[in-house]
Amino acid sequence: MPLLDVKHLQTRFYTGEGVVHAVNDVSFHVNDQETVGIVGESGSGKSMTMLSVMRLIPQPPGKITQGEVMFEGQDLLQLSLPAIRRLRGNRISMIFQDPMTSLNPVLTVEKQLTESIRVHMKLDKVAARDRAIELLEHVGIPAARDRIRNYPHQFSGGMRQRVMIAMGLACDPKLLIADEPTTALDVTIQAQIVELVKRLKEELNMAVIWITHDLSLLASLADRILVMYAGQIVESAPLDQLYANPRHPYTLGLLQSIPRLDEAQKAELKPVDGMPPDLMDYPQGCPFAARCPYVIDRCHTEDPTLEPVSDRPNHAVACWVKPNGAAVLETARAIAH
Amino acid sequence: MTRYILKRILSGIFTIWVTTIAVTLLIHLVPGDPVQIMFAQSQSTTPEQIEQIRSQLGLDRPIYEQYFMYMGRILQGDFGTTIRGNQPVLELLLVRLPNTLALALSALLITMLVGVPIGFFAAYKRGTWLDTSLMTGAIIGISIPSFWLGLMLMYVFSIRLGWLPVSGTDFKNLILPAVTLGLANAAAVSRLTRSSMLDVLSQDYMRTARAKGLAETLVLSRHALRNGLINVVNMLGLQFTYMMGGAIVVENVFAWNGIGRLAIQSIFQRDYPTIQGFILIFATVVVVVSIVLDILYVWIDPRIKYS
Repeated sequence: MPLLDVKHLQTRFYTGEGVVHAVNDVSFHVNDQETVGIVGESGSGKSMTMLSVMRLIPQPPGKITQGEVMFEGQDLLQLSLPAIRRLRGNRISMIFQDPMTSLNPVLTVEKQLTESIRVHMKLDKVAARDRAIELLEHVGIPAARDRIRNYPHQFSGGMRQRVMIAMGLACDPKLLIADEPTTALDVTIQAQIVELVKRLKEELNMAVIWITHDLSLLASLADRILVMYAGQIVESAPLDQLYANPRHPYTLGLLQSIPRLDEAQKAELKPVDGMPPDLMDYPQGCPFAARCPYVIDRCHTEDPTLEPVSDRPNHAVACWVKPNGAAVLETARAIAH
Repeated sequence: MTRYILKRILSGIFTIWVTTIAVTLLIHLVPGDPVQIMFAQSQSTTPEQIEQIRSQLGLDRPIYEQYFMYMGRILQGDFGTTIRGNQPVLELLLVRLPNTLALALSALLITMLVGVPIGFFAAYKRGTWLDTSLMTGAIIGISIPSFWLGLMLMYVFSIRLGWLPVSGTDFKNLILPAVTLGLANAAAVSRLTRSSMLDVLSQDYMRTARAKGLAETLVLSRHALRNGLINVVNMLGLQFTYMMGGAIVVENVFAWNGIGRLAIQSIFQRDYPTIQGFILIFATVVVVVSIVLDILYVWIDPRIKYS
């Protein structure tokens, strides 16, 4: 049984201007101790999907209209508020993008770290403090015993993200959801944070969902990748498989727009043309059809569902055409040379 | 920090010094001869008496000399005497200052206790009928002139119900003027609290707090309120000085014996020494309050570090 099993999740935002189709019939699972990467551009619904899983979307205007989120045998969408609060920050943790704005500026790191420890682990003030110091040391914050009294603005960006991670790990979660935790950081710090999470994942035996818009970041990190577009999962495959033989035109487009060091300088970067659809005015048929170079008539009328690729049981794609990505990438490489 | 406070105190002293210049010039800004105006209503004053008053006030000397004389006197604690009755101005003001401070502080307390919770709930329930009705009430509150509100309260609670006295100087007499002054400002504070809280409630750290599994009451009281209050405390400081000013009107409505009432009386009587003294005392209070507030900020918002 998977640790997290999401089925037909659908989230809508009811705004004054119209209904935003933020998450559209999303199904996926995460196994125990697995690292799953969710990739997609801004507004593709990756954060909204995970916030829906945590039941953290603002209601109103947001509403989870349909679906099932099974975690350790219970449907999170059916739990009472106190029951879901007992899981949040405890069995499932979520860390966020910008550690400057995601930490409370007027509370000390100690206060922000110990509050979830005290709520979930029922420790007293002194024990919670010791635990917090231990966590800070664990995520690599020097002089943790002194720094715990500091406020977030007294830390650098990378250190703040470490504090954020320490908060996420406070109660030994089974699942850590990392929502673009490195996007606001510069590249060297980014690599440190990725290494840190990899190390902690091994030590703590937890599963990780890593949300990012940077497909290349997942190369050293993820076991499996979900590609999201317009609130849908359009492709799901093990890491190697996805890089070697993407079968959705959008994934293929993403791969071709990543600069690579190991290939000829001449290899041209190809951006994905066009803009993602307006989620308030959701298109009929496949949402990627308007930007797709492989588009056929059927794409404009029928929305493809996520189905396994015939020869690969772990590889699923939502496309009528399913172009042979491996061949396309091969040809592009040959032209470059 | 100590250096910062010292700097603030020095700049406060500078502000008060500038006020003394303005106060000296005040007499000359009014058109016509000041002494003539002072005694315009009393027919019996002889030209000799007018000359005597003029030299007593130093008005027959050049302006800069007048200023140095005035400064020399106030530095020794001598604010002059009233035109009629020859009472020492400083004593007159200092006797009444505690009354005004008591009124302004009680009004401030009412403003906080009424304005902050209303704004907080309106923000938390934004877009609902509760929000709309609270904010409509706030608009009405801002629009009502305080002298009218004072008269209405007096009519209802003193005359109709007979619960509270119409005027006087003991604690019971403080209630109506404080409520009058407090409610008008509470309306403004509730609107500011609402907008400030709306901003805070949409911040990322609120989501982080909820993601930790904290109960909603804890999320609001620990994470939202303190951040939301940063702006509000700023406004309450300004409000306090407005209240000192608003007290002038309310003190007159309720015959509350504070410096505001004295100021109005002095203005009607063209009693320049008292008006000058009032302005100086008032400026000093405003300067002191703003220094206290700046120190309070550091305590509320750790990001502010004065160096």
